[in-house]
Amino acid sequence: MKWPRFRALRLQQRMVLLFVTLLMTVQLASFYFIRVAIEEIASQTLREELQVGARVFRRLLDQNSQQLVEATSVLTYDFGFREAIATRDRDTILSALRNHASRIRASGMAVVGLDGRVVADTMDEAQTGGAYAFPDLVVQAESQGRASGMRVVGGKPYQVIVVPIRAPLPIAWVAMSFVIDDASARDLKTLASSDVTFIEVSGGAPRVLATTLEPGPRAALERSAAAVIATSAEGSRLMLGGEDTEVLATPIERKGTGNLYSVLQRPVAAGLEPFRALQLVLVLLACLSLAVTALVANRLARRLALPLARLAKAAGEVAKGRYDVAVQANEPARDEIDELALAFRGMTKGLAERDKVRDVLGKVASAAVADELMRGTVELGGEEREATVMFTDIRNFTSLCETLRPQESLALLNDFLTVISEVVEQYRGVVDKYTGDGAMAVFGAPVAEPGDAQRAVEAALEIRRRVLALGPSLAARGLPHPEIGIGLNTARVIAGNIGSSSRLNYTVLGDGVNLASRFEGLTKRYRVPIVVGELTQRGCTGVIFRELDKVRVRGRVEPVRIFEPLQLARDATTRAGRALDTWHAALADYRERRWDRARGLFERLEHEPGYERLAEIYLGYLADVAARQPGPEWDAAFTLFEK
Amino acid sequence: MRAARFPLIALFAVGGVLAASLEVTVRDERGNPVENAVAYATPKGAPAPAGPKRTAAIEQIDKTFVPHVTVVQAGTTVQFPNRDPIRHHVYSFSPAKSFEIKLYAGTPPTPVLFDKPGEVVLGCNIHDNMLAFVLVVETPYFAKTPREGIARLEQLPAGEYDVHVWHPALAAPVPARTVRLRADETAPFPAAVTLKAQPARAPAR
Repeated sequence: MKWPRFRALRLQQRMVLLFVTLLMTVQLASFYFIRVAIEEIASQTLREELQVGARVFRRLLDQNSQQLVEATSVLTYDFGFREAIATRDRDTILSALRNHASRIRASGMAVVGLDGRVVADTMDEAQTGGAYAFPDLVVQAESQGRASGMRVVGGKPYQVIVVPIRAPLPIAWVAMSFVIDDASARDLKTLASSDVTFIEVSGGAPRVLATTLEPGPRAALERSAAAVIATSAEGSRLMLGGEDTEVLATPIERKGTGNLYSVLQRPVAAGLEPFRALQLVLVLLACLSLAVTALVANRLARRLALPLARLAKAAGEVAKGRYDVAVQANEPARDEIDELALAFRGMTKGLAERDKVRDVLGKVASAAVADELMRGTVELGGEEREATVMFTDIRNFTSLCETLRPQESLALLNDFLTVISEVVEQYRGVVDKYTGDGAMAVFGAPVAEPGDAQRAVEAALEIRRRVLALGPSLAARGLPHPEIGIGLNTARVIAGNIGSSSRLNYTVLGDGVNLASRFEGLTKRYRVPIVVGELTQRGCTGVIFRELDKVRVRGRVEPVRIFEPLQLARDATTRAGRALDTWHAALADYRERRWDRARGLFERLEHEPGYERLAEIYLGYLADVAARQPGPEWDAAFTLFEK
Repeated sequence: MRAARFPLIALFAVGGVLAASLEVTVRDERGNPVENAVAYATPKGAPAPAGPKRTAAIEQIDKTFVPHVTVVQAGTTVQFPNRDPIRHHVYSFSPAKSFEIKLYAGTPPTPVLFDKPGEVVLGCNIHDNMLAFVLVVETPYFAKTPREGIARLEQLPAGEYDVHVWHPALAAPVPARTVRLRADETAPFPAAVTLKAQPARAPAR
C-alpha cells in the first residue's frame, strides 16, 4: 500500500490531495453515469429514429410502388398500346412493350395472358409462352385490380407492378419491372436520411442486392446480415467500415423466390453528435471545478497548515529551552488555530516561569533538592533517615579579609564556597545552606544513597586539597595560607520541609547535626582540618584515620570517639604509618591507665610533625590525671563544655 | 327492348303456328334471378335458319351503353347512335369483332356488321367506365333475361336443340344442354349460373 508515502506528505499537500481526490472521484463517477445515460439515450433515440425511419421507408416504398402502379395503369390505357396488344403479334407487342417501358423508365415490361402465360417479356424473351414467374401478383391484380411487389429476378431486386389491360374488360396483364439498384437506393437514402441496403435471404447466405454503402461496409454488412435479420424487431449494433452503426432490418416481401429485407443503417456517432457538446461542457466544468477546488483547498490548507508549522517550529525552539519565541495569534481568538496559538503562548510563558523558578531554586538550594521539590508535591513535614552532615568553616576568614575591600572579600568567600559546592555536588552531596563563611552540606538526603559516609569523607579530603591548592594564588596577592575546618557526623536525622506552607526550607535537623557542627569546632582545638564521628569512621573503607579523642558532649552521657581522616589508603606512606601506630599505642596506654608508658610515647611524638598539638593535649591530660587520681568511673573521655 | 322485338315478330312470320316455346329461367347460385343473361337454342342436325335481315342499335346515353348486353345473329349490323352531347370512341378488341368508331357524335353513317359468332366486349376509349357486350350467335332463337331472370324463346319449330346460357360475368361457361321440343309446347328450362364477383369499378369520370 502507498499509505506510508502518502503520510510522508505535508499536511497541506495531503489536504489538497484529499479534496481533489474526493471531487475527482465524485466527478468521475457522475461523468461515467452521465456518459452511460447519454449513450443509453442516444442509442435509444437512434434506435427509435431508425424504427420511425423504417416505417417512413416502408411508406416511401409503398408510395413509390403506388406511383409506379398509377403510371403503369395510365400507360396500359393507351389506346395504341391496347391496339398493339390486341394484334397478338408477338414482335409488335414486344416492341410496343419496349417503347412503353422506356416511357416510364421501367427496367422491363411483360404481357401475361389471362391464362397466366407470358405473351411477351422484354427482359427475357425466352419466357414467351411459359408460365409467368409471379402468379401471386396476377392473382392479387385479379382481385384488387392491381398488384405490386418486390421480386428478385436474376439476382436483382425489382419493384414489379401488375395491372390489367382493359378493353374495357381485362384482356391481358401487364407486368412492369423497376430495378432497385444502388442508384435508386441512393435516391431513397436522401429521403430516409439513412443508409439503405436491400438484402435477400433465399436459403443460402443473405445477399446484398443494392446498397448505398461503400464496398467495405457492404461486405461487413453482408457477413453479419443473418444476425441483423434475426434481430430485425429491435435492431442491432454493427461495426461497418470502422464505424459503430445502428442497424435495423425490416422485412419488405416474404413472397416470391426469396425473402427481401430493407436494412437501414445510421452511424452511432451521428446520434451522439448533439451529446458531444454536452460532454465537452461537462468536462470543462469538471476541470474548472477541480481547479477551483484545488485552489481553495490549497488556500484553506495553507491557512491551517502554516500556523501549525509555525507552532511546531516554536515548540521545537521551546524544547531546546528557548522560551522567547514569538507565536502569531489573533487576540481574542478567532478560531481554533488562534486558540491553540494562544494556549501555546500561555504554555511557553508558564514553562519559562517554571524553568526560571527551577533555575533559581537550583541556585539557592541544590540541584538534587530542587529536583526533589519539583518532582514531588511540596509539603511540610519530614522523615527520619541516616545521613552524613558536613560543616565547613574557612579558618580565620575574618583576619584573611582584613586587608581586603568588602567586594574582594565577598569574591574570595565565593571562591571558597564555589569550591565547597562543586566538590559536595561532585560527591553527590547537597549544600544545605551557607553559614557565613562556612557551609552545611548533607550526604544521603534528600536522596538516600548508600556510602554517604564514605563519599562525605572523600569530599572533605578533596575540599581540603582544593582549598590548599588556592594557596599560591592567595600568596601572590599577599594573603596568608588558607586553611579549612570540616566536621562530619553520621547520624539519624530528621529530613524534610521546614517552615510554613507558603515558604519552606528543605533541611535536616537533629542532635547528629549539632554534633557535626561541634566536630567542626573541635578542629580548632585539635588543630586538625577534619574531625569525623565514630559512625562516619565506621562507614568508610580505604581511608586511614587517626583517632583523636573520646569526647563527651554536654547533655549526653555516652562519649563519642572522634577521628581525623588522614588520607586515602592508596596514598599512604610508611613513615606516617609508623608515627600513627605509635600514636594509637600511646592512646591505648593512656586509656588503659598505663600512664607512664603513655607519657613516654606522647613525649616521643611531641616532636613528630602533625602530632605536636595532640601530644601536647594528652600530656596535659596526663598531668591532670596525675593531679587528681581518677576513680574507677574514669573513662578517658574529654568533656566538651564550650559550644 | 326494342331491339329484341324485331326478331320475335320475324319469327311469327316464318314459323307459322306449329311452334314451341322455351322458357329459360336463369338463377344464380343463391337462387336469385339473373338479369342480362342470354339464352339461345341451336337446332341440332340442321343448320339454323337465317333470320330476317336484321339490325340492332346500341345507344350511348349518359356515358353508358344501352343496352348493356345485346345478342344478335351473325350477320346483323349494329348502329351506335350517340345520344350524349359529347363524343364517344367506341371500340372492340374482341376476336369475334374488332373495330373502332373514332370520336363521333350522332349516328355513324355506317353500322357495324357482326358476322362472326362470339363475345364482343365494347368500350369507349375516352370513357373507361363504359362497357357493353354483344353476343353474336348462329341462331335466330335467342332471348335475354329481364330483371325477373326469365328468357322466353318463342316460335321454335319442334325438334332437338342445344340450349346455351351465357352471361357477361360467368365464372365458368355453362355447358349446353339438349332439349327436344314438341310443337305447341312451352318447355321450362331452369338454368343455374355462377357469376364472378363484379370487380369494383371506378365511378364514371
